[in-house]
Amino acid sequence: MAVARATSLGESRPFRRLSPKLVGVVARRIASFAYLAIGITFVSFALTQLVPADPALATLGQDATPAAIHAFHVRYGLDRPLPVRYGLYLERLVQGDLGTSQQTQNPVTHDLSVAIPATAELALLSVLGALLLGMSFGIIAALFRDRPLDYVLRVLSLGGVSVPTFWIGLSALYLLYFKYGMFPGGGRLDPTTFPPPHLTGAYTIDSIAARQWSTLWNAMHHLILPAAVLALFNIGVLTRYTRSAILEIIDQDYVRAARARGLPERTVIIEYVLRAAIPSIVTVFGLMFANVLAGAVLVENIFAWPGLGQYGYRAATTLDLPAITGVSLFVATVYITINLTVDLLNSFIDPRIRVSD
Amino acid sequence: MYQKPSARARMTVGAVAVIVLAVIAGSVRAAARATPTLVIDTSFVITSLDPEAAHTPTALIVQKAAYDTLLTSDGLGSKPRPWLATSYTAAPNSKTFTFKIRKGVRFADGSRLTSADVVFSLRRLVNLRSPVSSFFAGVTVTAPNATTVVLRSSSSNPAIPTLLTIPTFGILNSKLVQANGGSDAVDAAAKDHAGAFFNTQTAGSGPYVLSSYTTNSTVVLKANPRYWGPKPHFKTVVIRNMLAPTQLLNVQRGSNEVAIDLSGAQAATLKSKQQIQVHISPSSNVFFLALNQDSNVSAAAANSHIRAAIRYGIDYSQLLKVAGPGAAQAAGVIPSIVSGALPRSEAPKTNLAKARAEVAASGISQPSITIAYPSDLTVNGLSFGPLAELVSAQLSAIGIKVKLQGIPTTTFLSLYGAGKLEAGQVYWVINFPDPADLRKFLPGGSYAVRVKWKKGDDQAIMRAYQVAAASRVRANRAKRFQAIQRTLNASGPWIPLFQPSQAIVGSKNLTNLALTPSWTVDVAAIGSS
Repeated sequence: MAVARATSLGESRPFRRLSPKLVGVVARRIASFAYLAIGITFVSFALTQLVPADPALATLGQDATPAAIHAFHVRYGLDRPLPVRYGLYLERLVQGDLGTSQQTQNPVTHDLSVAIPATAELALLSVLGALLLGMSFGIIAALFRDRPLDYVLRVLSLGGVSVPTFWIGLSALYLLYFKYGMFPGGGRLDPTTFPPPHLTGAYTIDSIAARQWSTLWNAMHHLILPAAVLALFNIGVLTRYTRSAILEIIDQDYVRAARARGLPERTVIIEYVLRAAIPSIVTVFGLMFANVLAGAVLVENIFAWPGLGQYGYRAATTLDLPAITGVSLFVATVYITINLTVDLLNSFIDPRIRVSD
Repeated sequence: MYQKPSARARMTVGAVAVIVLAVIAGSVRAAARATPTLVIDTSFVITSLDPEAAHTPTALIVQKAAYDTLLTSDGLGSKPRPWLATSYTAAPNSKTFTFKIRKGVRFADGSRLTSADVVFSLRRLVNLRSPVSSFFAGVTVTAPNATTVVLRSSSSNPAIPTLLTIPTFGILNSKLVQANGGSDAVDAAAKDHAGAFFNTQTAGSGPYVLSSYTTNSTVVLKANPRYWGPKPHFKTVVIRNMLAPTQLLNVQRGSNEVAIDLSGAQAATLKSKQQIQVHISPSSNVFFLALNQDSNVSAAAANSHIRAAIRYGIDYSQLLKVAGPGAAQAAGVIPSIVSGALPRSEAPKTNLAKARAEVAASGISQPSITIAYPSDLTVNGLSFGPLAELVSAQLSAIGIKVKLQGIPTTTFLSLYGAGKLEAGQVYWVINFPDPADLRKFLPGGSYAVRVKWKKGDDQAIMRAYQVAAASRVRANRAKRFQAIQRTLNASGPWIPLFQPSQAIVGSKNLTNLALTPSWTVDVAAIGSS
């Protein structure tokens, strides 16, 4: 467990300033990524060998002739022994070269530079929306415990957690796009709107930088529906988690004492209840990113969103090893960064929590 | 006990709810706007936009739009007519073809198209060893002067003019492609690195040029201002990657919108819509059963009586019900749109009594067979699983025990390609509208080796193929290919099942909407009334 609670207040060491120990822990975490990267590449290579399938056939299709298959093997080095291929891959990886995708024939770094901003835009809006709504609903449900509003929110959150994302996505498209025309149907922009000049790859940011306000509006309009569908699961999780975290605290003696001292209810809730519940919520917040990356595969396919989910899915179904490994490395980086961020945030929020290796 | 929330808290909650609703309400705006842009929705099948390296349905749309070919046709096998070549002559033995290249044609970058570009393009195609290039094996290309190109084939090949109509044989700007890593050398398969270039730019002389390509998302084409031929109606064409259910919604909301991946059943639901036009027809895909000829792999599949029993035991009318409206029984493996296809009247017929008699004559007690199918593949809106279930039930009724094996496509192709499957429920799409493509199904052909029907296994049928393939007279050629299919239907390892329906659906105002196996959709031909 990365986050450990001190056994007593006497042992706690506030990390409000960056202590040398903390810096050391962070440095070791980052260094450990190198080992993890090697492990990921090794597992990716090993797994693709275990699958009884030929990437050449997966890419060229059933009409591939033996000559075409041989040419494909030579082009992508698949005719070489696995250890040699793996060694060459690591050598290139050190130089920042993730290889060439067999499905797009572009450098994987190029493909990722296009897919990552698209997914990042979607994921960030989704996570922020889920954070805002999930926490709000959780607080409201706790404050209205066992009353109709609480029941409604609990049922809705259960729905968010249990209804398949694929079904929600298609239903949302049918109702909010097709039936009522509130949102566009799919893609990042309308067919008649052209992307802003490339700066980050995130259309919202790039259109602001280029002062293309109509493009910004169009990009935002396209973002809302897929982000909302992607957020529903996390809203459900966060609502339930926030509600139970608050209910655990709200009847504590120190909260009663605060009320007995005549503090306003708002102060009691924000300063005493919510503050104590936040470390638990922050931990769940970290898990939300994992949910978003998993959900992105489905949502991006339904909404024709050219992000990491679609790219990874296509790479997997065509056994595009360089792309599979590139996506895996990126996702691992995101996970490690989020875990570290959550640990650090918790240590800042609650000094009794210390970050360990 | 905690206190009841104050009125202020309630107001705050209410305000948050109002803001959320306002944000959503603020998003209300009609998404669809009438524009002069043509929008094609399809489920992307693109491995490359390099016309000579890929022959996939989505890439073909782009290739047809951006690259001119020496000859052209209706895409359904009509007689090829001049295009970039103003005329051509064929030697009586169909081994030498001479083309006169049109003068004054310029590529999109302004450079002049010459015979050198034709030579480079066709040599590169052969040397890239892509699947389609196999039809051009043994052909050498030379250019005696700037406006003449001569093709010499090592064997009689009357299909060459038809081949030259498909976009895979499009003519490239040789200087531009070479400057970006392209090569027509013998080792081009390993040394050509122009694949990424074709993702950013086209190098043709066609009516459109590539404006942008976002992997798994969008291809944008812009009209080529230097195009020598008839100007296309739409200045911009956007090809979007959409799932079929989304295509179904989009085509009803948009204007100048086309959907090309709807199943016949999905398309049929739109027939009553005033603003939509629907065209449903049998596709050029043919579903069939492939039975392994190697008794070491499958004693049952390799038994001629069991093969006959399967042929008689399948209830084709039931399969057509599952395949949906517009599907048609396949009389042979060559699809009905191509000259040389068998007439429907000769399609295999169900006869359960004969089927049971064949099982009894097989000498195998309680025959069993494993039929594999790609479990994650959908073709023309059809999944293979339900069809395989139906075939399994029908064969059980005549005494053949069937075990079904759904396998992911990537693994399926490898096992099938290695000849390890007892039987497979598969499909194929003809690569160019000429029956010579039947070669794949004959001993030693690329499909035949998957069922262990090896070169030399049936000399008679191969001699018949050579005669048919060398036939220049269209009617004779068709009859000879029909005769080969009759032989295949009688004793071959293939059981043709059906051609699923294909649908192209578009806004009512659009004209010339048509699907062809040669280039999927010709966007330059689409107009607006």
